[in-house]
Amino acid sequence: MVLAVASKGLSVGYEEVDGVLWAVRDVSIEVKAGETFCLAGESGSGKSTIAGAIAGILPPHTVTKGELYINGRTVIRDETRDYEGIRGRVVTYVPQSPGASLNPYMTIEEQFYSVLKSLYGLNKRESKERAKVYLQMVELDPDSVLDDYPHELSGGMQQRAAIALALSTGARILVADEPTSALDAHLRLQIVEELSRLRRETGVTLVFISHDLLLAGAICDRMAVMYAGVVAEVGGARAILEKPLHPYTLMLVESTPRLDRRKQLKPFLGEPPKPGELTNGCPFFNRCPSRLTVCAVKMPPLMSIGGERHVACWLYE
Amino acid sequence: MWHVGSTNDSMHVELKKVNAGYYTIEGFKSIRRKYVQVLNEVSLRIRDGERVAIIGESGSGKTTLLKVMLGLLQPVSGEVWVLGQNIYNMPKRDRWRITHKIGYVPQDPFRSLNPRLKVVDIVMEPLERSKFSEKERVERVSEAFKMVQLHESVLNYYPSQLSGGMMQRVLIARSIVHDPEMILLDEPTSALDVSTQAQIISLLNSIQERLDCTMITVTHDLPVAQYLADRVVILHKGSIVEEGGFEEVIRDPKSEHARHIILSYTLSVNSTNLL
Repeated sequence: MVLAVASKGLSVGYEEVDGVLWAVRDVSIEVKAGETFCLAGESGSGKSTIAGAIAGILPPHTVTKGELYINGRTVIRDETRDYEGIRGRVVTYVPQSPGASLNPYMTIEEQFYSVLKSLYGLNKRESKERAKVYLQMVELDPDSVLDDYPHELSGGMQQRAAIALALSTGARILVADEPTSALDAHLRLQIVEELSRLRRETGVTLVFISHDLLLAGAICDRMAVMYAGVVAEVGGARAILEKPLHPYTLMLVESTPRLDRRKQLKPFLGEPPKPGELTNGCPFFNRCPSRLTVCAVKMPPLMSIGGERHVACWLYE
Repeated sequence: MWHVGSTNDSMHVELKKVNAGYYTIEGFKSIRRKYVQVLNEVSLRIRDGERVAIIGESGSGKTTLLKVMLGLLQPVSGEVWVLGQNIYNMPKRDRWRITHKIGYVPQDPFRSLNPRLKVVDIVMEPLERSKFSEKERVERVSEAFKMVQLHESVLNYYPSQLSGGMMQRVLIARSIVHDPEMILLDEPTSALDVSTQAQIISLLNSIQERLDCTMITVTHDLPVAQYLADRVVILHKGSIVEEGGFEEVIRDPKSEHARHIILSYTLSVNSTNLL
């Protein structure tokens, strides 16, 4: 089986004055080629840091440990990071806010030219032809969009243009970092449908980052739920949402508002620990209603529960 | 004479054919002002103690509607009655006597707190024009802090030392410290994580129950509205296209746009039958 992305004990931190703050700790995940895999979690869970590691866009002051493989090639081995020929060509990135990430001084055509010239040395005519193909793929009319500046497009059109731009690189792994969080419900639906259709038609691997569990459940095959830089639970997206095992996932599902009054909202108190406040125990210890004595002192490993389901909780030892 | 009471005193808010908008500047070589109408003929009645959600997409005029109710944006035509007074038919300097009775929680907690003030000064600000003594003010701040379940040590913090959820709690404390008759909330949970969002929803409902006040929530998030309101008003391109009880609108939407909003939400998350 070809793995599009595989990490082994990957830790990613940021160098600060007082030392390294580890945003991601000892994460081992596998993403199969052609699947939609979601990294779900709240702010500070480390999901965007992993997205940055996969896409090869970690900032310079980042510190890494462990290993990360893209299509079988090592891109991170401890301190060494090498994305030559991978970044932009094999893996590409769709940012959270298209309005802020598209260059406001360039037309859409110029943005395609800028990317395709630097990656493949295409000339203006060639890049325009390729842009037309990918803009049509995301159901934008190239004749009206190519000459537009980003501010002339609506939020949904900007996000489609950003997806077309990412796909035009020919990359087989698409990392979409909260691509719908800045959009209204009807635009969110359009973009989710667009990404699902593109995945079916082109066979790309989609790594979807989201804080919205229900949306992740609707679009993804498998999901990893993250909490305070570690993976709490991995498995089929539907299975996780229908029967969450980790106490954190369970609380997250129960506190998500749904269009159904019968399901009462169950808020849980407290906040996740900050990177500098982490101990050797389970990071969810202080908020966990099912905590054991061992949880305070020892971090549970990701344990297999059968099938593709794994959970990091001492309750399942 | 501006002191003319509303014909119906049980109405906390009554808008009659309100048209409102903004002036923008356009042009490069020759700059000209252009009026952009946002609200079109909006008529709305909200009773004392009601929990109402105003739902719409970005640009539908939700926040503009709140500004009109808060006395911050004078409509070009129509009447705005708030707590029994026609607020734009009175001298501007007196308007605060009415709008002061409204608690307001702005959209983005990260950009709504003055970074140079300590939390205690931020929360106490609405009491500045009140008749309360210094001791009473401190007591009121302490009471508001208890209601939003924040520890009193937070009073000496600056906003930069707070998490998103704590900032939102501070903003809510600020909005209730003067015992308002009505609370207006502009997307109160859109910047928060799921777990914090659930805490804030539960907190707002307990505060509304305790103060027995009118609560008007602006949101684009249908499920959040469900937990914060009994009645829903759907706004589209500056006009009210539908209003009614939440259950009734969800079950049997009459307008094309309401159907569209409900379908959008349902389809985007419902492929796993989780609703």
